[in-house]
Parts: sequence; structure tokens; C-alpha cells
Amino acid sequence: MLCLGIESTAHTFSCALLERRGKKGRILADVRRIYRPPEGEGIHPREASRHHAENSPHVLSECLASAGVGISDLDIVSYAAGPGLGPCLRIGAVVARSIASYYGIPIYPVNHALGHIELGKMLTGARDPLVLLVSGGHTMILAFLGRRWRVFGETLDITLGQLLDQIGRYAGFASPCGPKIEDLASKSSRYEPLPYVVKGNDVSFSGLFSATKQIIPGGLETACFSLQETAFSMVGEAVERALSFTGKKEFLVVGGVAANRRLSEILQSICRRHGCRFFVSPKEYAGDCGSQISWLALLESTRKEGAKLEDTFVRQSWRVDSVEVDY
Amino acid sequence: MSGSICTVLRLVKKGAEADIYLTTWGGSRAVLKIRKRKEYRNEVLDNRIRAQRTAREARMISEVKSFGVSTPLVYFVNQENFEIYLQYVGGMLVRDLHGVAIVKLCERIGRMVGILHKNGVMHGDLTTSNFILSHGRLVILDFGLAQHTERVEDHAIDLRLFKEVLNSAHASIVDSAWRSFLRGYANSVGTQRLGQVLSQVSVIEGRGRYANVV
Repeated sequence: MLCLGIESTAHTFSCALLERRGKKGRILADVRRIYRPPEGEGIHPREASRHHAENSPHVLSECLASAGVGISDLDIVSYAAGPGLGPCLRIGAVVARSIASYYGIPIYPVNHALGHIELGKMLTGARDPLVLLVSGGHTMILAFLGRRWRVFGETLDITLGQLLDQIGRYAGFASPCGPKIEDLASKSSRYEPLPYVVKGNDVSFSGLFSATKQIIPGGLETACFSLQETAFSMVGEAVERALSFTGKKEFLVVGGVAANRRLSEILQSICRRHGCRFFVSPKEYAGDCGSQISWLALLESTRKEGAKLEDTFVRQSWRVDSVEVDY
Repeated sequence: MSGSICTVLRLVKKGAEADIYLTTWGGSRAVLKIRKRKEYRNEVLDNRIRAQRTAREARMISEVKSFGVSTPLVYFVNQENFEIYLQYVGGMLVRDLHGVAIVKLCERIGRMVGILHKNGVMHGDLTTSNFILSHGRLVILDFGLAQHTERVEDHAIDLRLFKEVLNSAHASIVDSAWRSFLRGYANSVGTQRLGQVLSQVSVIEGRGRYANVV
């Protein structure tokens, strides 16, 4: 079965073609264009959606061409219906609906966050992991229980991705700033005390954000180092708590921030301590991509029919723990 | 370590925050809680956290006893090694009981949490694995994240965490367990305070990502 997946929740517009045989998936093509805001600025939903609209035809044709597939070969088409930025989501939905209605192909609106988890599982081979989803839109610890992904811990305010991005922008970089912060942090080993806020299994980054801004004048590298150490340790502790509470023997980290090497190192050390297998999404597929959308739709299509065109909405705030999983 | 008084050490649990050993203290069964160095954490940060939590836990456990809340006795604190010797409490973790029993116990848990809050203490880590049912007596554990606070926000954080735990780990009984908890809680703090705290819980949930924004 062949599926076209369209991702457009935030800064990335991506089309991907995946093929499913039984439980195995194969990525035939995954093409992306990323909207880059000017330095020091964040993502502007209108500008991002304009970027997506302008780039969508090229991304789609390039995706089909590189896989050597025509639209008529598609079995299903899917798009990320949420959570994300409304104007951006609508572009992906429009592209998907156009293809579905014109060519008469079944359409699947899917949850973006669930896509991260399922693609991560497929690519790493994890079976029943505790999952850490860390990106610009999410900081969540989840485990599967009773037909849903349940949240065992999350951020009470901003996400880890936002924290890194906002500090980076404050320092004058263009987002996404994660890699830049990681780079600067690796040049220092001086730890400046910063607020460390773990509330049960949850974390809160807002105080850390304000305090980090204040120590930037004393040295950007030290600030980045201290920020990473504090924030990642907080997430690490929350993960440790969830691991010890759930007793899971596998751990999977997905989402854009999963690419950070220091975070990965911390999480690996935790897994060793708890006798737990560590899995991380391959860097190329950790961040937002069409593959996660396509793969999730392929899974859902094993259990349900495509959506009616009049039900193909976008939902800006669609929590992953509200999705019933029956595949 | 005071090797003369404590004898055999047996690791029973590698917790998130500390390792728990079974041992003896002055002839009685005891639990040794050690906050070990976490290699992944920056040393300065790690020492700060471990020192703070060890001191806080020891102080809080003793203090909440004076409110009539059941906690293990603190036998000995070694602040330099981040160790606490506690009375051994035998029984079952509430987390591991069956659904009906958990629902019933939630009322007593609620009452206990209400007493803490009324006396200006938030627990900070209210999960069903931090309560032990020991010969019919409900005992509350783990005060490493506890704080002195009268703020509605802080008390609401306690309730929200407990609700999250019910939602994730006890999904099939969450509604009845939560009602039962609130009944007990109201019993301790009164309905007026319950209303304030609950409405703050909604505020906190609303701050969460993608929680009914549009």
C-alpha cells in the first residue's frame, strides 16, 4: 500500500511517500522545504503559510519524481490535521483535499504528535517504549495504555524547543536555534546556577528562561552551557521518574530536539541505570517530516476507512492523548 | 556510613531520585534512602539538588507528623552523604492495589493531602506509588519535593499531578477515583477552599500545550 503524507504544522512543508507491507514500512521519498524567519525573529504564521503555499507544488512534484511514482499510483493521501499553527495546517489540508477529491483517493487526517511516535517506533524497532517527545511544540513523556498514549509528564508552560529557540533569538540567532546553542554550550564547562523546576513528573521552563536571559551578559557560552545542563537534567529527571513509575524496559526519544547530542547522552545514561533499552529516531527523521504523517495514515488505514471530505478539518490544539488508537 | 548500627544492605528499589535499601537501625528494620550522584547531571547542580532534597525531606517528614499525618519515622540523617535512615513500613503500594480498593483509598488520600495543605505544606510528588497501605493504615512517603506554601497555585499543582497520575496509570477508574479524592480533600479543607483550588487546577491545565486553546 502506498501513501502520500503531507506535513505543514509549523516551519516545515514536507511531502513523503511510504509503502507498507505488513508491519514493515519503507520510505520511498521525503522532500522538505523549511521556512526560515529573519534573525532574531520567530516563526510568523502568515509568512510561514505563504512559504508553504508557494513551495507546495515543487515539493509535491519533487517527491513524486524522486520516488518514480505518479499520483494515480497512490492508494491513500494523508495530512497533519494538528496540533500546529492554523494557517500552516490549512495549506497541507488544502493540498491533500485537492488530490483526494480530484483523483478520488481516500484521505486521512492524522495527529502530528502521534506521527512522531509511530515513525520513531517503526524506524528503531521499539515495541512498547516510554516515549519522550521533545520539539518546538511538545515536551511530553508518554506511554501506551488502554488504547491511548497517556501522558506521564509534560511541560507546564513552554516546550524545550521553545526555550532553546527563544534564548537563541534573544541572543540574535535565527530559529531553529537548537544547534547553535548546542555548539556554544560545548565551548564552556562553567556552570552558573539556574532555577531547576521539577514538579512531580512535570517540568516548568519559564523561570529558567528568564534567569538565563539575565546571565547572558556574563558570557553567552556559559549561559548556553548552564541552560542546557539545567533544562536537560530536568527532562532527564522527569523521564527517570516516569521510567521508575511505569517500569517500561524500552525508551524512545523523538522530535526535533532529539538530535541534540548532550540530551541524548543524558538519556542514555539514565537508560543504563534503569536497565532499559535506548532508542532514538535517526536524526534525519527526528524532526517534522512527511514520513511521520504518511506512516501513521498507513497504520490507521488497516482499521478504518478514509475520512469524508466534509470532515477533513484542521485542529490547532489536538492533544495526542485524546486520539483513540485501534490499529 | 554508620556501619556499627546498620547491618545488611539490600537494594530494593532504584528510584528516580534515590536508591532504596533494606537495612536495620538500632535493631529495627529500616530503609536507607540514598540520593546517589547522578553522572549525567552537572556536579554543581547535582550536589545542590541532592543536599536540598535530603535536608528538606528529613525536616518535612518530621514536621508533618505533628499534623497527625502518617509518615515513616526518621532515624538518622547523614547530610554529607545524602542519606536518610527511615522506619521500614511493610504493606502494599496503593498503585499496585486493584481498582475498587484504589477508589476507596483515594478518599483517605484526599483527606491526608487536605491536612497537609491546610497546614501550609505541599507534597510536590503526589503519585499512587508514594502511598503505602500498611495493616489498614495509610502512610505517605517521599517528601523530597515538598515545600512550605499557602499559595492556591502550589496546592493546585499537587492536585493536578495526582489527577494526571490517575489519568495515565489508572485510566479505567479515573473518574470515580478523582471524585473520591475530592470528597476527602473537601473534608479537610472545606468546600470553599476546594472550589478555589479546583478552579486553579483548570487554569494550570489551560496553560498546558494544546489544551482547548481554540
